Parts: sequence; C-alpha cells; structure tokens
Amino acid sequence: MTDELLRVEGVVKRFGGVHAVDGASFDVTAGSITALIGPNGAGKTTLFNVVTGFARADGGEVVYDGRRVSGRPAHAIARCGMVRTFQITKALAAMPVIDNMTLAAPRQPGEHLTGVIARPLAARKREREVRERARELLSRYGLEGKADDYAGTLSGGQRKLLELARALMAEPRMVLLDEPMAGVNPTLGARLLEHVHVLREREGTTFLLIEHDMEVVMGHSDRVVCMAQGRVIADGEPEAVRSDPRVIDAYLGGTA
Amino acid sequence: MSPVFAVSLDALTSADFWIGVGVLAGTYTIFTLGLQLNVGFTGIINFGQAGFMAIGAYAMGILVIRAEWSLWAALPVATLIAMAAGVLIGLPSLRLRADYFAIVTIAFAEIVRYVAQNARGLTGGNQGLLGFDDQWLDVSDTILGWLPESLQDQFLLPLLIVVWIAVAILTGLLMLLQRSPWGRVLRAIREDEDAARALGKNVLAYKLQSIALAAALGAIAGYFLALNLSFLSPESFEPQFTFIGFTILILGGLASYVGVALGSLIIWTLLEATRFIDLPLAAEKVAALRFVIVGIALIVLVAFRPQGIVGRREEMVLRD
Repeated sequence: MTDELLRVEGVVKRFGGVHAVDGASFDVTAGSITALIGPNGAGKTTLFNVVTGFARADGGEVVYDGRRVSGRPAHAIARCGMVRTFQITKALAAMPVIDNMTLAAPRQPGEHLTGVIARPLAARKREREVRERARELLSRYGLEGKADDYAGTLSGGQRKLLELARALMAEPRMVLLDEPMAGVNPTLGARLLEHVHVLREREGTTFLLIEHDMEVVMGHSDRVVCMAQGRVIADGEPEAVRSDPRVIDAYLGGTA
Repeated sequence: MSPVFAVSLDALTSADFWIGVGVLAGTYTIFTLGLQLNVGFTGIINFGQAGFMAIGAYAMGILVIRAEWSLWAALPVATLIAMAAGVLIGLPSLRLRADYFAIVTIAFAEIVRYVAQNARGLTGGNQGLLGFDDQWLDVSDTILGWLPESLQDQFLLPLLIVVWIAVAILTGLLMLLQRSPWGRVLRAIREDEDAARALGKNVLAYKLQSIALAAALGAIAGYFLALNLSFLSPESFEPQFTFIGFTILILGGLASYVGVALGSLIIWTLLEATRFIDLPLAAEKVAALRFVIVGIALIVLVAFRPQGIVGRREEMVLRD
C-alpha cells in the first residue's frame, strides 16, 4: 500500500462472550472516500469506537499516519488529526452554535489555565482567528443565521451539518462519519455529500463513513468495505462489492 | 386567647443580626462558588464540598497551632493541601459516571469529618481547635480602628468586610475564567463528554482542574468559617452544609456566579431569621421546622422557576 492513511489490522473487541469485532482488517487510502457497510450488528460502530479511541481493542492494532494509535486515549487520537462524528448527533445543545464551532479549534492557549493567566493576548488573538474561521464555515454550510442560537434549537439535519462543520474546525486530515445521512432530509443530505466531495478535492481530506443508503454508498465512495459478524467480508470497488455473493448473503441474512 | 406564634422583629432590626447573617452568607457564597464551578459549569456532582472545607480549615489550624506557623503562611499551604485532596479524590473516581462520583465525594467528606473527630492529637477531636486566629484578630482590630466610632463595638464587622471583598474578587475571577476558552471546554464537558473528547479535549484533566479549584474555594470558605467561630470542631463540617450549598445553588440559579451570592443571602437570612419565630414547640422542633420551610421553598422554586433567580432557562431545558 503506497499512501494508506489508516490501517486496521486484526482488531478484536469483545463484550463478554460476544465478539462485536472479530479480527477486522482493512486500510484507508489517503484522500479517498471509503464507505463501511454491513447489516445491523456487523460491528461497524464498535470498530469506529476502537479506531477513534472510544473503546479499547482486545486485540489487533490501529495504525494512523504511520503511528500506532490503538491504546491511546480518544482526545490524543483526535489531536493527531482523526476526528469523528456520532450516529446520534452530539450537538452541545445548551451552547450557542458559534461556541460549538470555536470549541473545536486546536492550538488555543486560552484553553489551559496557565494560558488564560500568562498568555491572555495570544488567547485573544487566536480567538479572533478561530471566530472568523467559524463564521466562514457556518456560512458555507448555510448556518450563518444560526450562529448565536443555542445548538439545541437546530433541526436534526442542521445538527448533522453543524457536527461536520465542527469536526472541520479541528483541522482534521481524516474524518470518520457515523451514518451522516440518517434522519437528514434529502436536500440537506445532498448538500452534506457535496461538501464531503469538495473537501476531499480541495483539501485532500480523507473520509471513512458508515452508511446504509446503498445509493449514497455506490454513488459517492471510491471504495467499499463490507463487514458482517465482526469481520471484513469484502473490500474493493463499489461495483465489485455490490455483486459479491458473500455481501448479498450477509444482507439477506445468510452467514457468509 | 394568646397568639399561636409571634415573631419578635427586634432581632431583625439589630445590626448584630445582619452582620452575623452577612458573614455566614459571604462564607457560604465562596463555598457554593466551588459547587457552581463543578455542578453548574462542568457537570460534576460534588457532594463533598464540606470535606474540602474541613481539610482547608483543619490544615490551617494544625499548621498554626501544632506546627506554629504564621497564619499568613498557613493559608496558601492549606489551600494547596485542599487542592491536592481534590486531585487525589478525583483521579480514581472522576472516570465514574456522575452519580457514582457523587457517592464517592459524600463518603470522602464523611471520612474527613470522622478523622477530624478521632485524630485527637492533631485536631483536638470534639473538643476542637482554638487559638489559631491571634494574627487575624490584630488585623481585625486595625480595621476596626479605621471605622467610625459608632461602629467600633461591632466585633465581626472587619470579617464581614473581608469576606465580601473576597466574594467580589473570587466571583470576578471565576466569571473571567468562565468566559475564557477554558470555560468553554468545561461547558462542553457538561453538555457531552464524548463530544469534547472527540474534539481533542482531555476531559479528565479539565475535571481535575475543576474539582481542585472547587476544593480551593471550599478551603477559603473554611478559613472564614474558622475565623467567624474562632474555633474548629467536626460538627461545623457535617454533610448538611454541602446540601445548604446545593440549596443556595438552585435558588440562585445553575450556571450563574452572581446568583450564588444572591441565593446565599436569601437562604441565610431565612435560616437565621426563623430562629426568632416563637412557636409553642420545643427548641429542637423549631430547628427542624426551619429546614422544613427551606425545603418547601425549594420544591416550589424548582416547580415554578427551575432556573433559579438569575439562571438561564435555556441551559436547563435544552439538554438532549
């Protein structure tokens, strides 16, 4: 593999006797849009949790950008440039939209007590930069009118957009989206996908997304990884994966 | 027919009464500022604030009396000891869910109180600790000397002045911190820890800072309590004081530092004034009745104005 950004190798995650992820291996090419598919209970979200440090793997390893990240805490992995969103959006409801955005920006000295006291000017300068960038992103995502509203007042679709925009504030090289289209109306959904493509083209951002909508998967991803019962059963071009008999079996309820 | 009860208003018009209420209200404002930082702004339920208050006050008393330190040297060191206790309690237990953490902290505060009761060599046990405030009394006399003659018999007036200056400074500092990016991270943690984590924030480190600062505020409140009573005994640190703090917090309003001072003034005025209600009841029943009244007031408040006097309603109802 020449320019892989993420490598998942033999990852195992057990909950009691249940092997939620059972030796899954695949990799994600830098600058690609890779879709992770599979029937309910295949272990996709659990795998996301392991990759991003929200769950500890019982075996195998995760390598991001040439560094082993498995076993490291979630916040440290996020700081490496791998940022995730959640299946159920985690908009910080009782905070204004703009604060949701500015929160995510890295390198803010004012986020540390020592910085608040010793470097107030640097903090204020960074805050101005961050605000400007946040306003810019919000207007790109059609949320500029909502900047000062509490995030809890946004619709489900707007929250998904906010979550994506917020993830981008963290200046990621790779974004993991857990069911970005779930509960989003088609218009907003189309816009969200458009943004994903633009980001990949303009900034070379890599995307790994869990998605159930096959049309979205086939039409928008470069590569598809299909999981069933904790393992990767197919991995390749969208068309090839779609016609793979093991994939069809898995979706029809047979055991692969 | 004799009246069922009578309120003697004489007490409420005396300066003594209001100075006493003022000192208590100021002390518990500082105490509750720590709770506000934890509960209102970080989402940590700290039921152990009376324990941090006890650690601060006893560390100060022990350093002055047993180790013969100067009071002024003992104060910052005792504050650091309380902060270290906060980190020590937080480190293993802040990873727990909020409700379990609350249980750990209340147990911690009770352990502190029992140690104070039984480590007689250090704390004097139930006999208490006396004589740590000589240096304060000198300062207090100096302040009294600056005041007009007519006020000079008000022995507690200097403490009242100093405690409210401390309230003003600490409230101001906390509000500044809250408006900083640091405060924004705390609020994000209160809303959703996982979201904060996914954006690269070290949640445990922030929670530890929050609890250490609350412990420092508890310790400072402990010094004022000690100077007010001139005496340290375990019964000043019973868990009920943490719950009075929570009452103040809810009355003033969650997520508002200004509300804390307001809530504290109201609660202590109520608690102290109700001492003077004359009821055909035994004294301990009247004492219990005071808490019944406060409890009813709290229920009514939560039912009709959950955000308290100055809290923000949005921050109460917009939780996912």
